[in-house]
Amino acid sequence: MFFHRKEPAAPTAGDASLLIDVQHLSKIYHEGKENEVRALDDISLSVPWGQFLCILGQSGSGKSTLMNILGCLDIPTYGIYRLGGQAVSDMKPSTLSGIRNREIGFIFQGFNLIPTLTAIENVELPLIYRGMPRAERHALSIAALEQVGLGHRLNHRPSEMSGGQQQRVAIARAVAAKPPIIMADEPTGNLDSASGREIMEQLSALNREGTSIILITHDNHLAQMAERIVTIQDGHIVSDALGQGGLNEQ
Amino acid sequence: MNWLQTIRMAFKSIANNKVRSFLTMLGIIIGVGSVIALVASIQGMATLSRLQYEAMGTNQISISGWNLKSADWVALEKALDKDLSDRIKGWSPQSRYYDWQSKGVQYRGKLLSDDKYRTNIYFGNEDYSMVTNQTLAFGRDISPLDIKYSSRVCVIGDALRRYFFGAMSPIGQKIYIGGKSFEIIGAYKPKFGGKLNSDDQMIVLPYTVQPTMMEVTPFDDHDYFVQAKTKEDIDPLVDAINQLMEPRKGEDGYFRCDSNAQFQEQMEASSNQLALLGGGVAAISLLVGGIGIMNIMLVSVTERTREIGIRMAIGARRRDIIGQFLIESAAVSCCGGLIGIILGCFGSATIGNMLLAQQMHGSSGWMPDVEQFTVLPSVPLVLGAFLFSALLGIIFGLYPANKASKLQPVDALRTQ
Repeated sequence: MFFHRKEPAAPTAGDASLLIDVQHLSKIYHEGKENEVRALDDISLSVPWGQFLCILGQSGSGKSTLMNILGCLDIPTYGIYRLGGQAVSDMKPSTLSGIRNREIGFIFQGFNLIPTLTAIENVELPLIYRGMPRAERHALSIAALEQVGLGHRLNHRPSEMSGGQQQRVAIARAVAAKPPIIMADEPTGNLDSASGREIMEQLSALNREGTSIILITHDNHLAQMAERIVTIQDGHIVSDALGQGGLNEQ
Repeated sequence: MNWLQTIRMAFKSIANNKVRSFLTMLGIIIGVGSVIALVASIQGMATLSRLQYEAMGTNQISISGWNLKSADWVALEKALDKDLSDRIKGWSPQSRYYDWQSKGVQYRGKLLSDDKYRTNIYFGNEDYSMVTNQTLAFGRDISPLDIKYSSRVCVIGDALRRYFFGAMSPIGQKIYIGGKSFEIIGAYKPKFGGKLNSDDQMIVLPYTVQPTMMEVTPFDDHDYFVQAKTKEDIDPLVDAINQLMEPRKGEDGYFRCDSNAQFQEQMEASSNQLALLGGGVAAISLLVGGIGIMNIMLVSVTERTREIGIRMAIGARRRDIIGQFLIESAAVSCCGGLIGIILGCFGSATIGNMLLAQQMHGSSGWMPDVEQFTVLPSVPLVLGAFLFSALLGIIFGLYPANKASKLQPVDALRTQ
């Protein structure tokens, strides 16, 4: 099974009706050496717009590597990745920065807020990189923080907030500019169950408004809130099933 | 990403690491401070010597000699009046009177002896005030008629006037010089600080009275001041006078004619060299400061790898990261530069005043008022130092900033 690596196919015009179109994607570290690691091995996956997708897998399964590639944070070793019909694999780093900035909102397990900036400054940061005028980004950031229930914590630094509050700041940062995709990597991993539930409810709410959500988790129970569950193991997709979220929805 | 925002963020990160930022700035502070203090004091001294030169009289040529025949001096005076007159604005003898000391200068029994305060007595003509750059405060100057008739009149300096007359008018009063009485016809404004023992304690007599005053020593020492019309006339005049007089001086004679413009040029050239040297040495310490900045920025990049990863994840491009770190290092060095400029201003004022005091101590020549003369760095020097420190920050920030921008977002995010 380790010999079916495919050479990348010639880029073809993408299907814009798909949000994510991944074909024969591989990520290999130390390729050809003794310590070669195939984090992802020949993964193919398509995700339509507006789906609440969960990528489920144990630690070391390759799910985070997959999210890093889907989130344009990393580049695949082989294979084609099209986001909204555009082949991401061939893009320059600066174009990728633009995509991360405009198309994708990230929510990480470790919150990844900048400790020296206040809540509102953290939320404003991606808007600053986008070049949005001060007044506009300020208004958007306040709205986003109010939406996650932190309207009263605008000028607090991450260290002055609880984990749940920090994660909500991160959500506000991810959604402030209303990107079409939210990628959440173990968003509840560092939180108590009550805060975790709250975060998941906010993700579901976003999905109901039309945002595509990609949730990465190892928690089977959490995964059930998604519409579709893709399970990864040892760098391969081992199952692709519907979740409770989808059933509830329809 | 807009610059204002980047600059705000840079200052924020400086403020977050106050002690470290200050220590990093220290190299720049010391460098800029010493460049400014050194160069400004040297420039101040050059200004002082220029002011002294200008106070002596511009375009001035001094002539001195001894052991020449009287006929030679007559020939010189004739040349100054006729052949060279096109280039000359005025000339005057400036011979010192050496014999008066035993009897001092007296006014109504009040004696100003030579024991403590030396009165300089000069023999001049009607051009004397002009060629020595003196201005009258009272009365009139020595006139051609005074010269023609060897009138026993005199013009006195400000310190002497105040010593003898205070608020009284000196005009028409008689003072005794070397036992002979002279009528005061005028008094000068202060020029050398107005103090006793400076050249403000001086008396000018018509040079034609000179032979009647010289009883003991046969007079053979001649001094002249010549004022050229323009700067360009100085060199031809000096050459012409030397050509005329050199062959006449004989074996025992001494003759010298030169202009203080040459001296001034030499002074300026050497002070410029000194400034360059001092500035160069201080610039090395600036360089060391710059390396310090680079070092700390590298540490900062390593420490903030995760932050860089976060910024990249949410859309910062390479140039945003480069801009952030460049502006941060430029901000550190600019802050250091500003503090250095302030310290340098204080330093140059202090050093300048010390040097000034030392010079005043050692000379009785012209001096500016200490209150008026503060040694401060020039605007180009301050601007240059500031821009240089900014440039230093950018140059030494380039490597760390570039290093930061080359991080892979996924690797940077993985760092704890």
